[in-house]
Amino acid sequence: MNTTIVALSTPRGRSAISVVRMSGDSAIDIAKKFFSPFPTKPNLLKVGSLHTKYFDEQAMCVYFVAPHSYTGENTVEFHCHGGTAIAQAVIETCLDHGAVMAQNGEFSKRAFINGKQNLTNAEGIIEMIDAETASAVKAGANLLENKLGKRIVDLQDRLLDILSACETTLDYPEEDLELPTATTAKRSLQEISSELDELIATSTLGKYAKYGIDVAIVGKPNVGKSSLLNALLGTDRAIVSEIQGTTRDTLSESVNYRDIRFNFVDTAGLRDTNDEIEMEGVKRARRAADSADVVLHVTDDPNDRSVYPTVRPQVRIYNKSDLYDSEPCCVDSLVVSAKYGNVEIIKETLYEMFSAKDIESSDLLITNERHLSCLKRAKAQLEEAIENCDRTTFDIVSNSIKAVWQTLGEITGTTAQEDIIDRIYSKFCLGK
Amino acid sequence: MKDFDVIVIGAGHAGCEAALASARLGCSTLMLATNLDTIAYLACNPSIGGTAKGQIVKEIDALGGEMAINADKSLLQMRMLNRGKGPAVFSPRAQVDKNAYHTNMKQTVENTPNLFVRQGEAVKLTRNADGSFSVTTAVELTYHCKAVVLCCGVYLNSRTLVGTCVRESGPNGFANAKFLTESLVQLGFDVKRFKTGTPARVRFSSLDLNKTQEQKGEEDARPFSFVTESIPATKRSCFLTYSTAETKRIILENKHLAPIYNGAINGVGPRYCPSIEDKVVRFSDKERHQIFLEPESEDTCEYYVQGASSSMPADVQELIYHSIEGLENVEIMRDAYAIEYDCIDATQLNASLMAKHMPGMFFAGQINGTSGYEEAGGQGIVAGINAERYVHGKTPFALTRDNSYIGVLIDDITTKENTEPYRMMTSRAEHRLILRQDNADLRLTEIGREIGLVDDARYNKYLHKKQQIALAEQQLKIVVSPKVYGPLFERNNEPVTGAGLTVDEMLRRTNIKWKDLTELGFFREIDADALDEVEIECKYRGYIEKEKEAIAQANKLEHKALPDDIDYMSIEGLRLEARQKLNKIRPTNLGQAGRILGVSPADIQILIVYLAQRKNCASKPI
Repeated sequence: MNTTIVALSTPRGRSAISVVRMSGDSAIDIAKKFFSPFPTKPNLLKVGSLHTKYFDEQAMCVYFVAPHSYTGENTVEFHCHGGTAIAQAVIETCLDHGAVMAQNGEFSKRAFINGKQNLTNAEGIIEMIDAETASAVKAGANLLENKLGKRIVDLQDRLLDILSACETTLDYPEEDLELPTATTAKRSLQEISSELDELIATSTLGKYAKYGIDVAIVGKPNVGKSSLLNALLGTDRAIVSEIQGTTRDTLSESVNYRDIRFNFVDTAGLRDTNDEIEMEGVKRARRAADSADVVLHVTDDPNDRSVYPTVRPQVRIYNKSDLYDSEPCCVDSLVVSAKYGNVEIIKETLYEMFSAKDIESSDLLITNERHLSCLKRAKAQLEEAIENCDRTTFDIVSNSIKAVWQTLGEITGTTAQEDIIDRIYSKFCLGK
Repeated sequence: MKDFDVIVIGAGHAGCEAALASARLGCSTLMLATNLDTIAYLACNPSIGGTAKGQIVKEIDALGGEMAINADKSLLQMRMLNRGKGPAVFSPRAQVDKNAYHTNMKQTVENTPNLFVRQGEAVKLTRNADGSFSVTTAVELTYHCKAVVLCCGVYLNSRTLVGTCVRESGPNGFANAKFLTESLVQLGFDVKRFKTGTPARVRFSSLDLNKTQEQKGEEDARPFSFVTESIPATKRSCFLTYSTAETKRIILENKHLAPIYNGAINGVGPRYCPSIEDKVVRFSDKERHQIFLEPESEDTCEYYVQGASSSMPADVQELIYHSIEGLENVEIMRDAYAIEYDCIDATQLNASLMAKHMPGMFFAGQINGTSGYEEAGGQGIVAGINAERYVHGKTPFALTRDNSYIGVLIDDITTKENTEPYRMMTSRAEHRLILRQDNADLRLTEIGREIGLVDDARYNKYLHKKQQIALAEQQLKIVVSPKVYGPLFERNNEPVTGAGLTVDEMLRRTNIKWKDLTELGFFREIDADALDEVEIECKYRGYIEKEKEAIAQANKLEHKALPDDIDYMSIEGLRLEARQKLNKIRPTNLGQAGRILGVSPADIQILIVYLAQRKNCASKPI
């Protein structure tokens, strides 16, 4: 079996479409789990639905059967709408089903191994590997400098302690030593497990730090969404008019607030309409909301109590406060007047909401998708190791601990067999 | 007679396996030993096997070697280590009679056709213009051969140390080999110096056994060899005791007298075989250390004091030994000593144990920087087989990391430079769940048969076992109703679901063994060893399958050969350290290249691209 790799194939950032590519033995099986209807034939681009844990989304899918693909392996491509959120969700779904994050240039490398690439591309590939090496070296150096790296190194080191002790019980059954049993090993592993959870939890923050926070501005027509965007940006970016339905398509623009980037998306007003173009705009608005990190639900009616239907967190904004006779009915909302520009409170609220302070001050953030993918895999393996403590013999327990240690080693770069043996002899008095 | 196909220099555990393999495969073979009384001499502990080593002995056996058979013949007691920790680490260990072990092996080599046994110290080894070799002994006799296997153990320029008493000597007062190292240097080998040690031998009748715990062998132990029908019950016991606070005090007080701490020893000693002074100094928080007393032979009252090797002066040794519980009045019969010796850098060898730069020249055993009888024997049989194959123009034979511990061992020592004697451990075998002691026969008999070392008797027995396994597997599909299995499950604390279960499903339960299922009428006519196999494969199926996937993944790189003529220094993109290491070790495939210390995953990627480029260039007309 070959591992199945996945990555975004189009440049990250704003684009009309983004392509997520998956290659490996299980690529087709994985894709079938969340794309339907799956194309009936290879090499055929078909429209269908992507089912991610955040939202369902229309996209196109094509698959290629080995060896007739770029990499020479089973390959699936998803052509989805642009923007980081959608592509991110698709990648996450692939990872959840067993794919692993591809390294830079790995698709090309596989193409090489499988004899699908010719000589002229070789130099390019070598450059890419060089770049990967350089960045890996840099990442390795950074690891030791930042808190995240130190924690991973520390976790791996503690795992090595547990592992070497387990291995010692296996290789030195007759020694008079205090060595782990399934029960004590389980306890130590559980401690590590909860720390891994903490680390993985920082990945959401890490994503915000790296790509910014996606904020969708939705609401009925003419409540002042575009004015709000302009006020947030401090420019006249969006066209503003009295005419309902001025904003047809979504419009996104980023602004930095205290070093954190917010990606605001202005959307078409939500209403039932027969206008085909406007209908498409409404559809896009809903999609933007579903893929955003937070939704600003804008209204100009102080008595409006409605809630925008989404699983995403939302903040109600009472806009046009300069026209209100009475206080708005819901106190847990923000009251602003885009026209008079007092919108800083929105940024401040969002900033608090996403613990943006932590993003700025802490370097304990996972921003690297490959690292995150390793940590998640390590976590799954660790759970298995913990279960093994109760259900099988110690040889298997130790093997499964080793798997976790090796996975963390893919981040820290140390997985040499010798490390285990060195640790055994440095910690235990052994031998005849 | 002076002309042979193969000459084996050395008659220890590597030498005997090499000579037997070569002779049995039809090569006229000369086995030279400095002293014929050292044939298969157990210079250190009187036991064969143990963790990882027991697996190696079973592998030698499956390939058609002698060590397991000889251990069974010379047995004092047998035991399976690690029972309860899982089949991947079950490890058989035999206490053997040191004298019988030597005598039995000597008789075997003497009675092997094509094998000539000759006492003589090899003092000079040269390679002739036609690629053959000449070996001259100390009495100025010269022998010629097409291939030579060096199994010199710890005899090259060895010296033993007891305090300040340093002697030019091999183990146990046997003469060392003073001249051969020079020939090796002239032939282009890098020579380094390693060290090891052995404890004192003491008189059994002077032990106070009341202060020790007796350890007998296991009642129902199975033989080491696949072809041995039965083994005797325990003939002699071992005894467990402990060092004391007094032992620690004496050692710390006399530390300055130990050669290892006063600079008299240059050799690098193994961490896994520390002297008692090493243990006390390095692990000073430990109050006492285990000492095992092991019988040397039925012919003698000498006991081996495992855990107390030392290079202290003899009078200090007496103080140390007398401070051990139960040894207060012990009579030391032979002193403990440390020994230093020359060995080569085994990265100069390939997986067939032939020198890369010197075709026809093979090395096995401690001369390769390993330690242990079993490690030596495993290399010996591989070197012997390959010497024959070289002589007869056949392709080299190599074991792999996924089919044997011997494969792991040879790959490790030929890939990574060792700074201390190499001991096999189960932790070194990444696929140890597949490399079990119970399936060594299933893994390697077919290979041994193809090579020609597995005779009909062994092969038929192997086929019988396979047949028995197939019979047992047929029964796995049978469905049994809860009425039938219910009582058995309740008795063994296994939940009863109410649904019918197949025999396979029952056997997968932790507390249900195949023996339990014979109560229900299954497996009654089938051999125990076949059923052990089936039960393990059943209970561990999920893990075993995962392991096989891991092997398949690893093999993608193992199967990418690296041509001999690559100039690594000129490959763009490789880091300098990787270029130098690759050029020195010259791995045979990408998998091995990846295991070289100093070669990174990125370097491997570069090599993959390089190979693709190369292939492409080659296929294009110029």
